[in-house]
Amino acid sequence: MDFKDYYSALGVARDASDDDIRKAYRKLARKYHPDVSKEPDAQTRMRDINEAKDVLGDKEKRAAYDQLADRVARGGNPDGGFAPPPGWDEGFEFHRGPNAGPADHADFSDFFSSIFGNAARAGGGGGARGPYREKGEDHHAAIEIALEDALNGAERQISLRAQVLGEDGRPRLETRTLDVKIPPGVRPGQFIRLAGQGLPGHGGEPAGDLYLEVRIAPHRLYRVEGHDLYMTLPVTPTEAALGAQVTVPTPGGGQVDVSVPKGARGGMKLRLKERGLPGKPPGNLYLLIEIALPPADSDAVRAAYEQLAKATPFNPRKDLVS
Amino acid sequence: MTTTAHATTVIDSAPLSLRELARAVGAEDQWVLQLVAVEILHVEAPEQPPERWQFRSVDLQRALAARRLQRDFDANLETAALILDLQGELRRVRAVLAAHGIG
Repeated sequence: MDFKDYYSALGVARDASDDDIRKAYRKLARKYHPDVSKEPDAQTRMRDINEAKDVLGDKEKRAAYDQLADRVARGGNPDGGFAPPPGWDEGFEFHRGPNAGPADHADFSDFFSSIFGNAARAGGGGGARGPYREKGEDHHAAIEIALEDALNGAERQISLRAQVLGEDGRPRLETRTLDVKIPPGVRPGQFIRLAGQGLPGHGGEPAGDLYLEVRIAPHRLYRVEGHDLYMTLPVTPTEAALGAQVTVPTPGGGQVDVSVPKGARGGMKLRLKERGLPGKPPGNLYLLIEIALPPADSDAVRAAYEQLAKATPFNPRKDLVS
Repeated sequence: MTTTAHATTVIDSAPLSLRELARAVGAEDQWVLQLVAVEILHVEAPEQPPERWQFRSVDLQRALAARRLQRDFDANLETAALILDLQGELRRVRAVLAAHGIG
């Protein structure tokens, strides 16, 4: 694990003011927001700048990080990697501010987890607050599944890393593996809730819940849109002009015969009712017609094209000139 | 490393209460009421008392996004509502383009 330079990530100096950090973050967040960015690594960069802002935008975390950076600068780990030295966070307590938002650090790096992991309540000085009882915070993560898992349901394992307090009172990273049952018909953007798998509660109160946002991995044939599926269906000009029966694969693994209507055009959509994701009601499977030209790679095909041209006065550009 | 098996729930088959949604986004109940007031969240039966309202995945998604806009850009809720609507429109248009093999 490498030491992460959060100041470089935001492009600010070590003595940057809170305002400088906020401005730098906003500028980069606009540049790398996944909805608008054309940068190929937008998602990774957005994660990095979110992580940097989470630390540098919080006075307590920033002070602790600065102290840690100084210690690393004075004498790094001999093997070149980074591990937080024991007791590095003594004297710091990390609070979640009133506007801290959800505990959505699940995408942050191992470096972040090793330092700030679940330390929101783990720092020293808890006694000053007096005993309190509170349910643990809810946590968020994402789970990417194959389309087949969304169709048929599945059981998947996910690993989550979080910092916990050891018996010696020192924080350490713990990896938890959870078996997650994926119900059939789950759609991208839906959440699966795992009760009691969020942050631990305090004073005997129960742990929070873990929310997993479902993402569906890109599929070779099908694209998911809500509970509908889309597939490109290539047809020949002959099939499009004269109509045809073609066989297409269905998402469940079977095949079905589909009638391509006479005079079909590129971009036309054919609907296979209730062949999309299961549910109430089930989604549809849409076939998007794409006309594929046979290559003119032999004398016979070239002759056939020429004969077709002679047989029809068809001019696709007739509307271009008045 | 520990392994634990769990029963799971998709929120859409077991909707969240107002209190549960607030907890899930790390906010107060009052904040969720504000989201309903500015129509970032839409409840099916607004005439019912808030403790009987039900929220689904789309609501959690929008509440999380509004929370981030507020936290990261100091956006007020009306601005957040507009941005979320524009984001939704952008995704809808992209989906239409993709459905026609464009983009």
